Amino acid sequence: MALKQISSNKCFEGFQKVFEHDSAELKCKMKFGIYLPPKAETGKCPVLYWLSGLTCTEQNFITKAAFQQAAAQHGLIVVAPDTSPRGCNIEGEDESWDFGTGAGFYVDATEDPWKTNYRMYSYIKDELPKLINANFPTDPERMSIFGHSMGGHGALILALKNPGKYKSVSAFAPICNPIQCQWGKKALGGYLGPDASKWEAYDATQLVKSYSGARLDILIDQGKDDQFLSAGQLLPDNFIAACTERKIPVVFRLQQGYDHSYYFIASFINDHIKHHAKYLNA
Amino acid sequence: MDLYGSKERFDIFPEEPSGRGDRSLGDTRRESALSSEKVQCPQEVGYDLEKEVAELAKMYGLDEDREKELELLGGHLEKVESRWSPAHTEKAGSQDSIYNISKSSSSVRDSSQSTKQQGLPDEASQGENQSKARADDEAESSIWSRGGLSSGGVSDEWNSQAVSEEEEEEEEEEAEAADVFCSTCKIPIRAFDKLFGDHKDHEVAQLPSAVESEKEEIHKNMCKLEEQIAQMENVASHLEEIFITVEENFGRQEQNFEVHYNDAVQVLAQKYEEQLEALGEEKRQKLEALYEQLVSCGKHLDTCKELTDETQELFLENDKAEFMKVKSFNCPKFLKQEVDLELSTLPDFEERVIDVSEVEQLMNSINAIPAPCAPVINPQAPNAATGTSLRVCWGLFSDDTVECYQLCYQPVSNERHSDGQAEHTLKVKETYCTITDLLPNTQYEFWVSALNASGISPPSERAVYVTAPSPPTIKNKKIRSCENAALVCWESRDINPVDSYTVELSKLTDEENDDFITESIVGIPNCEVLIHLQPTQKYHICVRAQNLGGSSERSEPVLIHTTGTCFYLNEDTAHPLLAILDDGFTISCDELENPECDLPVYDNSFTRCIAILGSLIPFPGKHYWEVEVTEDTEYRIGVAFENTPRHGHLGANNSSWCMRHIITPSRHKYEFLHSGMTPDIRITVPPRRIGILLDYENCRLSFFNADIAQHLHTFNSHFQHYVHPCFALETPGILRIHTGITTPPWTALP
Repeated sequence: MALKQISSNKCFEGFQKVFEHDSAELKCKMKFGIYLPPKAETGKCPVLYWLSGLTCTEQNFITKAAFQQAAAQHGLIVVAPDTSPRGCNIEGEDESWDFGTGAGFYVDATEDPWKTNYRMYSYIKDELPKLINANFPTDPERMSIFGHSMGGHGALILALKNPGKYKSVSAFAPICNPIQCQWGKKALGGYLGPDASKWEAYDATQLVKSYSGARLDILIDQGKDDQFLSAGQLLPDNFIAACTERKIPVVFRLQQGYDHSYYFIASFINDHIKHHAKYLNA
Repeated sequence: MDLYGSKERFDIFPEEPSGRGDRSLGDTRRESALSSEKVQCPQEVGYDLEKEVAELAKMYGLDEDREKELELLGGHLEKVESRWSPAHTEKAGSQDSIYNISKSSSSVRDSSQSTKQQGLPDEASQGENQSKARADDEAESSIWSRGGLSSGGVSDEWNSQAVSEEEEEEEEEEAEAADVFCSTCKIPIRAFDKLFGDHKDHEVAQLPSAVESEKEEIHKNMCKLEEQIAQMENVASHLEEIFITVEENFGRQEQNFEVHYNDAVQVLAQKYEEQLEALGEEKRQKLEALYEQLVSCGKHLDTCKELTDETQELFLENDKAEFMKVKSFNCPKFLKQEVDLELSTLPDFEERVIDVSEVEQLMNSINAIPAPCAPVINPQAPNAATGTSLRVCWGLFSDDTVECYQLCYQPVSNERHSDGQAEHTLKVKETYCTITDLLPNTQYEFWVSALNASGISPPSERAVYVTAPSPPTIKNKKIRSCENAALVCWESRDINPVDSYTVELSKLTDEENDDFITESIVGIPNCEVLIHLQPTQKYHICVRAQNLGGSSERSEPVLIHTTGTCFYLNEDTAHPLLAILDDGFTISCDELENPECDLPVYDNSFTRCIAILGSLIPFPGKHYWEVEVTEDTEYRIGVAFENTPRHGHLGANNSSWCMRHIITPSRHKYEFLHSGMTPDIRITVPPRRIGILLDYENCRLSFFNADIAQHLHTFNSHFQHYVHPCFALETPGILRIHTGITTPPWTALP
């Protein structure tokens, strides 16, 4: 599991770096961005995983979200992996922007031809943390997860499916109920097969209904002028209703005038970093 | 016989009366001078006495450091002796006796030195040879100094040391010879004496142990002597005091006598002069009368002689007719005239009543004392007053004899007509008095007169004293505090204003010394103070009021826990429909509209929103409190400026910030209102306990679901002024406010 440093830039007294490694889970070379705060030079730091949305690579978040200052301030290592395996030469992987490359949907595929490479759920849950903990000054006990859109969906399901693994979870405009939306139906159908009951294992709204375990404090920001919100791709109301019913604490903030872009993310990234720092540094 | 010469015979006194008066006055003066000389005589005697007492005192080491004295006792006494010898050479006997004392005391010193050696036997034996050699030298020098050469203190000491060591040497010589001690004969003997000599049947002890016991005995005696010395010193100093007192008293009496006797003498002299004058006048009158009588006698005699001559001539007349003619001559006529042979005046002088009553009075008054002068009353001393008592002091200007004082006082009143106000009078022996049962923080006027058998002095000036104030009352319900400070206010229990207040705070520890004052804040002009405290401590705080008279007792203490921010609810801001329950922190609203509409409305109370303000939170930093709500209660909670409109809704203006809970048919709706605006926030778990964090420094007001530490919303606002917590009910229900809560750590970050 050798790491190859692709880039390293000093940023807020820490370093924003990009590494490449051979993924056993995904059977391809994977890149990830990692921000090492200045505190990491002297001690172990908690890790906050960021999951990006459709079409993104490791680059989008680290170049556009402007999270580094807050991460440096709170002493968090922030890891931003890619969103899917790349260059696996699977037929049709590059055909559409919402399926295949750049759209791994953080599931472990069970259908051919995807099931060999498209194992993003396991990659994020196991392989990547192991790799990070082995190579960087981390505190393996303290990790949290957040993401945007498809990554928000990924963050929610990883937190809900693994109670206690993540200290906190938050999301920007997450796909809250994929089994009910076009993106979800296409991706889950593609990776998991037509049996919709199997999809529920990767549906945040469904998972909440059966969640029990460590208390979660979920922060969700949603741009009110998000085109995908009005298109019914995100469906946060369903998730909130399920959380209300199950008394899962959520603060859902509908932000007036914001859309689905990284400008929106950058506007509220500090709140999310603080939200995680509160639990990671408690 | 010359009639004029006879006058001299009556003149008993050789000089003129006036001249005599002068001379006699001079005599009296001389006499009085003599008497004053006599008076001086005892003084001289007294001086001698004084000197002697001083010498005695010196001898017993009254003037000098006692320890040093003890060490130098021998030498010093010799010094005394040498000082005495030139002055009292004739007092050989006493000199001798003192010399004896000096000798005995030097032997005391010997024993003390030997005691020292006893304590350090090794060292003593080590230095034995050395000291012996030295003793030889010193013995010589001691002989040299005993030869009569006067020597200073140092050499005196040297001498006594030398003497002691000389004696030691002797002891040692004896010790070489003898090795046991005969208890019967009290002498050291050689061991074989016990066996074969005179001491055969005597009880013996080993010499060292005998020496030990003997030294012990000596040591005891030493102690006794020291005790006696101390005792005598005490007695001597006491005597000296008495001596001074006697001298003072007698001096005063002497002066008194002098004044009075001078008066008496003067009066007597005056009387004498008056008497002399009267006597002279009488004499003159008598002499004049006698002289007149004498003259008339002479005249009569002359007439008789003439008549005799005429008669004789008539006898010689032969002419009978002529004879008969003349027969009717005036002789029978003359003879008919009676000759006054009675003495017109008696030679002895008239009885005169000499009025000596004045002198008598004067003489009687010699032993009496004059009425004292007015005492001087002191101004009030600091801290001489309590709330109900005053300590008044005064003094006498002169040496007047005073039996007691009459102290009068009355409260100072601005109203003149209250002159009849109780004026109290006390008889006091001392020159001070503590008056009790007074009113706190009140001015009293005092004046004092001195009394003795002869009368009462005029009163002193009037002095105004003021009693200390009553302890203030801390307004328990008005205390505000936080982790770092407290704002305490109180009210004075006195009508008159006080000068300042002092706040005392004691930090309570788990240990016993609870009331240890850790800090005092003095000179607080108002009835309110901001105290800086340490977090998570307990403090007892009390207040004292202060005026010229002193400080009051402590107020009832209040307990302050610096666990978190505490405030109270301002009842006067409450909407008429809003009620505060007994605990002071639960507000309730039973119905939204009152059909009668006649509820009292204060100027400051909310009229539209059923709201109430808490007290101002006047401390910078972070403040946290919680509000317990029920899920079906609609409320607004937050903070507001003092001047937030009372007719508006909380959060609807730019002077208030609040979280609002509304129940819609579909869900619980939460708004975070400021200037009527709210972000769109959905909260899945309705909070039952809302935590509010006010952070002045970081310009932040945050709301939390305190039960699950969930951050709900944060207003970022720079508060220009300190704010009040505010609470409003929009449906019937209750809000329970919790203060004094430690700010939870999870509030640090949203």
